[in-house]
Amino acid sequence: MKKKSKDELLYLDYQKTFFTFLVFGKLFYLQILQKSKYGKLSDTNRIKLKIVYPERGIIFDLYDKPIASNRIDYQLSIFKDKKNLVYDYVKKLRGHINFSEMDLESIKNNLNEQDLSDFITIKRNLSWNELEFFEFMKNKFPFLIITKEKVRNYEEDLIFSHVLGYVGFKKDVTKIKLSNLKVGISGIEKKLDSKLLGKDGWIKFETDSKGAVKKELNKKYAVPGANIKTNLISEIQSKASDEMRGIRGAVVMINCQNGGVNCLYSSPSFNNNEFSDGISLKKWNLLLDDEFNPLLNRCIAGLYSPGSTYKLVTALHAIENQKFNKNKKFLCSGHVSFGNRKFHCWKKEGHGYVNLHEAIEKSCDCYFYNLAKSVKIDDLAKFSSLFSYGQTTGIDIPNEFKGIMPNREWKIKNRNEKWQKGETLNTVIGQGFMLSTPLQITLMTARIATGKKIIPTIISNKKEFENLNISNENLEFIKSSMFSVVNNSTGTAFNSKLSGNYKMAGKTGTSQVRRISLEEREDGVIKNEELNYKLRDHSIFTCFAPFDKPKYSLSVIAEHMGSGSKVAAPIAKRIMELALNKY
Amino acid sequence: MTEIIIKLKNLNWLFIFLVSFLSFVGLVMIYSATFGEESKIFISHIYKVTFGFILMILVSLIDVEFWKKNAYLFYFIGLVLLLWVTFYGYLGKGARRWINFYGLNFQPSEIMKIFLIISLAKFFDEKKFQESRDYFFLILPILIVTIPFILVLIQPDLGTAMLILFVSVVIFFVSGINWKFFAFSGFLSIVVTPYLWGGLKDYQKQRILTLFNPENDPLGSGYHITQSQIAIGSGGTFGKGWTKGTQSHLDFLPEKHTDFIFSMLGEEFGFLGTLSVIGLICLITYITYHITSSFIHNNFNRIVGYGIITNFFFASLINMSMVIGILPIVGLPLPLVSYGGSSMLTYFIGFGIILSLDRESNYL
Repeated sequence: MKKKSKDELLYLDYQKTFFTFLVFGKLFYLQILQKSKYGKLSDTNRIKLKIVYPERGIIFDLYDKPIASNRIDYQLSIFKDKKNLVYDYVKKLRGHINFSEMDLESIKNNLNEQDLSDFITIKRNLSWNELEFFEFMKNKFPFLIITKEKVRNYEEDLIFSHVLGYVGFKKDVTKIKLSNLKVGISGIEKKLDSKLLGKDGWIKFETDSKGAVKKELNKKYAVPGANIKTNLISEIQSKASDEMRGIRGAVVMINCQNGGVNCLYSSPSFNNNEFSDGISLKKWNLLLDDEFNPLLNRCIAGLYSPGSTYKLVTALHAIENQKFNKNKKFLCSGHVSFGNRKFHCWKKEGHGYVNLHEAIEKSCDCYFYNLAKSVKIDDLAKFSSLFSYGQTTGIDIPNEFKGIMPNREWKIKNRNEKWQKGETLNTVIGQGFMLSTPLQITLMTARIATGKKIIPTIISNKKEFENLNISNENLEFIKSSMFSVVNNSTGTAFNSKLSGNYKMAGKTGTSQVRRISLEEREDGVIKNEELNYKLRDHSIFTCFAPFDKPKYSLSVIAEHMGSGSKVAAPIAKRIMELALNKY
Repeated sequence: MTEIIIKLKNLNWLFIFLVSFLSFVGLVMIYSATFGEESKIFISHIYKVTFGFILMILVSLIDVEFWKKNAYLFYFIGLVLLLWVTFYGYLGKGARRWINFYGLNFQPSEIMKIFLIISLAKFFDEKKFQESRDYFFLILPILIVTIPFILVLIQPDLGTAMLILFVSVVIFFVSGINWKFFAFSGFLSIVVTPYLWGGLKDYQKQRILTLFNPENDPLGSGYHITQSQIAIGSGGTFGKGWTKGTQSHLDFLPEKHTDFIFSMLGEEFGFLGTLSVIGLICLITYITYHITSSFIHNNFNRIVGYGIITNFFFASLINMSMVIGILPIVGLPLPLVSYGGSSMLTYFIGFGIILSLDRESNYL
């Protein structure tokens, strides 16, 4: 009996030993073999990550005045695990914190984001009152935290909108790591996004099982983006904005010495701060439907017939490449017959006998019609490319248009017709198929003024440019003609002569929007003022100054404002005076 | 008086030290569990440990004969208390387990385990083994086990009920009951199980089902076991340090001062900590085996010793198995370590009886 019971007890011991080893084995598995797995799990339990978005680089003007900086934005965020509480919280907070429809929409979007962050932003742009209220009430909302972020702020609402562009959320990108990162959407913001962006950081919070934040564990600071200095001059830009109030069009000013774009203003403008804060769909649609298209950057993407300003290139081409005798006179009787068509001068009664210099000064169309008879369109087009017509200028902001510099090949390709000689007559005075941007016109002037292949730039500061390889004598001739335009009493822009010591040289242009019919000619051309607004001519003026040592090249385009001398030239005069006297 | 001093001198002080050390581990863990919160629980635990220790020494001075003599009386008292608690007990966490005694909550099912063990021991000691071949003879001990088992089960306290059953089976086994009996019981229990299952509360069913697939529903009933495994696993070899456990202190671990205290120990002291506690428990069990195996001719002493230590050992390992995911979470405290008076006092009383057994074994 004693023996039997001993065996049984031994059996019991085995049982206990087995059980002990089972527990021991499982502990060994959990604590030794799977330590890293469970360690990670315990960390994901308690550590919550909040992405800190970097501060965008500041953009300065030429004189180090900030034109795009950042402001502190207080934001309310919810713990991602508790996102089902969002709407309950919003309901509770509503009386004290204003949730606009836009906020609610962005909450909806944010809830579906596959962001790295463990927090979801539910309200941006908290006001001081809202902040104060939340600080007071935060015990009732354990899963909400206030964070601050630097967000883009433009010093001026309207003045730099087209050139600077704006920032916004990247769209249609699935599984983006930083879904709340704002990137440049247009203008400099887009072009230099990678520099301005900076590098994101994070904050790790320790939270308890209910998601309440216990403490900040550690953080990696966000690296702010690089600051960028531009060639823009705030005051000129503001002046352009003032001058263009109520006028559609563009003002472009280039520094002739380094190609620096000092002014790039397109009118009407829009408020880029609204865009960067997130614009409502309603407002966005309103802007899209606006017949004056405020979102279009007319300076680089507005297409206009250069009109008479293009005569400068035609004239230069004739004397440089065709050994045209600039002293040769043509009679302007008000029109020129070519084939079975009549080509009219803007001055019905004609200019009488004029030479090339006078033809430029007075902007005689007939002279150029006669000159055009010996011009081959392909040669002219090739020469015009020296002044960037039909090509992009290479300015450092995106979405530039290259316009149209027509030639035979272009006609076949685009109109499926052969080039008509009569079309050359329209082209030499900058009408017909030809289309250019205000930037191209300004660049033409700058290149004529310097004889160098200036390249416009908003941010760089290059001094050396290629020569155009045009004889100095011919360039001087064109420049002196431009001088007469402004400074001779018979010049088309004499009323815009600069006051003071500086001399300006320029060229007016009137860009015809409609075709004037034969009957109308006979009945007398309808005055611009009597025409439907949309059919009125564009007023163009391009100029450079000072005459003896060109510093600025400037163009003004005023849509549907009639002749160049009336509106564009006086605006250009005032802007040029400011630029010359102050900078 | 001198008699008492001699008795005290003859006590197994190594055993007392080991038991005290296990209680000390409990104190250390309870301190950590309540760290940064109000210290009421910790203070109360100190009182209970002190009282329990004194109780153990007092019990150790009582001769084993006393328990043998009064076994059935104690069993009867325990049964009355259990019946009382069934109908008038204090309701907590969906179960009727506690008697409120002048502000102190007392759980009669705990002390009933001791009374059951000594009653069974007395029964098997008095009967001849030959009789045990007669199955009718077993009706009485089966009743002794079944009545408290069912009363505890319907409280419901699945953990304690299972432990009662388990310890009883071991006692039957030690008493030399034929293996055919166990085969028959096993068969019977398989037949009875579906009925028992139907009688279980939904939350109890859920707990058992959770065991088989804890990760299936991590935020539901599997949450506790998952978080407990994370706590233990993340402790690694050396642990995160005392009071530094993130799972426990950030409330991911449920009931960290009671049933899941071992998980917290695993998190804060790592594999070395859990291993030491298992070692301590095995050592206490081994010493008790050594003591009881000397009673070759005293069935009562032998059965009481085995019964008590089996209760302690299995309660400990079932608790551990529970929190590491080997067994379902049935709600059993870790003896001497978990917070909770009734359980701790019962184990101290049990160790007191083992000490008096040891004292007696010296005279053999």
